[in-house]
Amino acid sequence: MNALKRHRRLDAIWSSQPGWKGWFSTVNHSDVGRMFLATAFFHFLVGGVLAMLIRAQLATPHSAFAGPEIYNQLFTMHGTIMMFLFAIPTFEGLAIYLLPKMLGTRDLAYPRLTAYGFWCYFFGGAMLLLSLVLGIAPDGGWFMYPPLTGPIYSPGINTDFWLIGITFVEISAICAAVEFTVSILKYRAPGMSLAKMPIFAWYALVTSLMILTGFPPLILGSILLEVERAFGLPFFQAEHGGDSLLWQHLFWLFGHPEVYIIFLPAAGVVSTIIPVMARTTLLGYGWVVAAVVALAFLSFGLWVHHMFATGIPHMGLAFFSAASTLVAVPTGIQIFAWIGTLWKGRPQLHLPMLHILGFFVTFVIGGLTGVMVAVVPFDWQVHDTAFVTAHLHYVLFGGFVFPMLAAIYYWLPLATGRKRFFRLGEVAFALVFFGFHLTFLAMHWVGLMGQRRRIPTYAPEDGWTTINLISSIGGFIMAIGLAIVLLEVVLHMTTRHRVARNPWRSGSLEWAMTLPPPAYNFASLPHVEGRDPLWADEALAVRLARGEGYLGDPPDGQRETLTVDIATGDPDYHVVYPANTRLPIVFSAVTGLFFLSLLLKVYWLTPLAVAGVAAVGWGWVWTLGRREDPGTQDVGRGVRLPSSDSVARSPGWWGSLFLLVANATFFGSLLFGYAFLWTVAPDWPPPALIAPSLFVVAVALAGAAFGVAGIALADRANRRGGAPVSGLGIALLGTLGSAAAFAWLMIGTPDPAGHAYGATLFVLGAYGLFHAALAVLMTCFLIARLRSGFMAPGRAAGLPIVGLWMAYLALVTVPILLAAYLPWVLA
Amino acid sequence: MNDLLRILAGPLLWLATFSAVYGLNGVVCGVCAGGTAFGDVSLPRVIFAVAWLVAIGLQLGLVAALHTARLGSRSSFVRVVSRTTGWVGLAASLWTLFPTVVTSSCL
Ligand code: HEM
Ligand SMILES: [Cu+2]
Repeated sequence: MNALKRHRRLDAIWSSQPGWKGWFSTVNHSDVGRMFLATAFFHFLVGGVLAMLIRAQLATPHSAFAGPEIYNQLFTMHGTIMMFLFAIPTFEGLAIYLLPKMLGTRDLAYPRLTAYGFWCYFFGGAMLLLSLVLGIAPDGGWFMYPPLTGPIYSPGINTDFWLIGITFVEISAICAAVEFTVSILKYRAPGMSLAKMPIFAWYALVTSLMILTGFPPLILGSILLEVERAFGLPFFQAEHGGDSLLWQHLFWLFGHPEVYIIFLPAAGVVSTIIPVMARTTLLGYGWVVAAVVALAFLSFGLWVHHMFATGIPHMGLAFFSAASTLVAVPTGIQIFAWIGTLWKGRPQLHLPMLHILGFFVTFVIGGLTGVMVAVVPFDWQVHDTAFVTAHLHYVLFGGFVFPMLAAIYYWLPLATGRKRFFRLGEVAFALVFFGFHLTFLAMHWVGLMGQRRRIPTYAPEDGWTTINLISSIGGFIMAIGLAIVLLEVVLHMTTRHRVARNPWRSGSLEWAMTLPPPAYNFASLPHVEGRDPLWADEALAVRLARGEGYLGDPPDGQRETLTVDIATGDPDYHVVYPANTRLPIVFSAVTGLFFLSLLLKVYWLTPLAVAGVAAVGWGWVWTLGRREDPGTQDVGRGVRLPSSDSVARSPGWWGSLFLLVANATFFGSLLFGYAFLWTVAPDWPPPALIAPSLFVVAVALAGAAFGVAGIALADRANRRGGAPVSGLGIALLGTLGSAAAFAWLMIGTPDPAGHAYGATLFVLGAYGLFHAALAVLMTCFLIARLRSGFMAPGRAAGLPIVGLWMAYLALVTVPILLAAYLPWVLA
Repeated sequence: MNDLLRILAGPLLWLATFSAVYGLNGVVCGVCAGGTAFGDVSLPRVIFAVAWLVAIGLQLGLVAALHTARLGSRSSFVRVVSRTTGWVGLAASLWTLFPTVVTSSCL
């Protein structure tokens, strides 16, 4: 087969449907990545317009441009859109687009999940934008503190839009994080050991792990607050044993890691681009990896620094103040690695480099004001003033937007295969840079003079007039600069100015393909020997197109790739991907129906939507099956690999594992909330404790044990060629028992609407019930699979996945029972 | 996977002990804020200081384990990175839990 014929063959297999129809059925990472980025930048535009409205209002004293109600919506939606609908999705889009190309493979681990995540983001974002258009947008500030956002002070639907819409959007973040984690660990070019991964992949891996452990507390908080608002279960109301500080803990447990989740991918971009611009390799690769890991963990120990002004005990303040200052160290290490890289190379001032310099200056200033507010007495002075707003924009705009602009200019030739020919970008950079510093340097100052954040207006006597006007002018200059960036991107895409392959002369694999990249990325997969494969072998792209790598002989109609051993990068399994389908958009529409029914309080629809989700989910997994044994496959270069459907540690198993990591964090946060209320909230211990029920304890424990043992038996029988019927029967019995026990626990909970104790126990019981019901569903699924002839010794992937979920059910059963009954035993 | 865990272990242990000591601070001050031990040193102070020492001990143990041939990684890259993050965990424990012995315990 020659290169052209191979290209035609692969293209027929991998292309999405032509025309607009393709948008709804594509599962290809390049397509979905572009859709993600376009949607994210649309949200950036909306958030930016809101920022302009805010600055217009603040430009003059006693401004009547927007009243307080509208102003509240403006800043809340600006913050919310920028954080949840722009920054995180931009990372997701960029990583979805780039990771498989950088890692030398053809797609991410779960192509349909990529598309599902996108549609959840799209619909969730649309919900929030709709509220903005209708003038009923959230207005409680981007961190939504109760009691302000509780049912008493915010009775309207505004807050519900936030809680429900953002939770919907978070689903896409969790999907993407699971997918990136598994893709980076398993879906790489053969030979790419951990030590040879492109540095961006390390950043993306750490960021994904942070999303998996950082987002669940917020999802939990949003669910609790929404349940309090809709059904009156008092988690945050002090008069019923709740505590509004619980929200602050849950929110900032998410919120501080969040800012690093935003910063780390941007830093990954910087670490990728700087060496290329300086024509050298990254200085201290291993140190940078260690610093990124350290940064990720340290950022989880900082959340209380957002609560310095809430009356926390002194020792707690000191812990978090110390941790907050410490986090500057790994950030500093990265900055020194970048400076060192520039030092040892021959840096060239291309446009991406300009934005990176803008990043340096801005981010370092933001880091310094960050250390200032990490010191408790200083924070007490400036808390909730414009100084904090200025600080957070130095880190967010400096630490995220500048690197993203660099990324746009750096990877645009890759995505389009064209080059710019107007030099608008340099002008745009100058406007953005000076506009930004004019706007926010001024805000530090006016903050120190006492201007609070989130105030709709001020009086001339306050003496803030001139500074605010300067700040607003700066804001508009920056806006013009950003508009020029947009203009240039559009011009770039609409003109014909073909770029040569690998225009920056990078060593990384994403440039080893024809531009713009074909749907399958690589005609054959490379064997990687070092960190810069393209520098080691300039002709790599041509050799891959000629089919000299792995999987160069595409069989008809199969989208295939291979996975590798996590540590060594030796190829281990052969994978066949699902092809174009509308299932993801349908699935997310049904998911959306569930959220919509809660938002509009049409509760009869909720169970129908849940049933719909279960049904589509069933169909989703069902289509993955095989009725015949796949056998081993020849993947080229003399290697034969077993199919991933035949092994215990299949891609689905890894995905479940990391999803369960997120799930366990969610559960841990719930237990933390329970313990927090016991020790800190007023009005505890509660008036009445629930008495232990022998029935619940015995049935729940036996059910969990049966579930685990049943699946283990079934798995063993299946692998030995026997019939797994009895094992599945035992598991079904066990999971049904579990469900009954948790339902009984919920029924016996003393008045959930009366005291936070009952409310929390009720939620714990519901959590157990949900997992038991899920286990029942999974067991039924396996039984149906067995009856339809999908199970055989050579197709062993399904049972271990369900086994994992059974083990998790058993694992959470014990703490739930302890939380419910231990207080009574002790009392 | 084990290599990934080796790299994450040090900071993860710090996060666990840091949160545990913060929680302990809440619980101990709720239960026995007034007690004293060893003459005029307050009981909470003693408990927190011991907790700090335990945290440091655990981190030291982990660093030592990562330096052994049996528990360390076979890849030299992972060995270097995991030992570095191990030391990071130790340094973080020393610095962030240092307040246990200097600031007021239950105010
Ligand atoms: C495009 C240029 C931007 C301008 C001119 C701008 C301006 C502002 C202003 C004036 C406020 C203060 C509102 C008040 O306290 O009354 C604000 C708040 C905020 N901004 Fe921006 N901003 C910009 C970009 C961004 C970006 C890129 C992000 C994040 C990635 C961001 C995140 C936030 C957040 C989280 C708040 C706090 C909202 C709240 O208090 O609830 N902003 N912005
Ligand atoms: Cu923070």
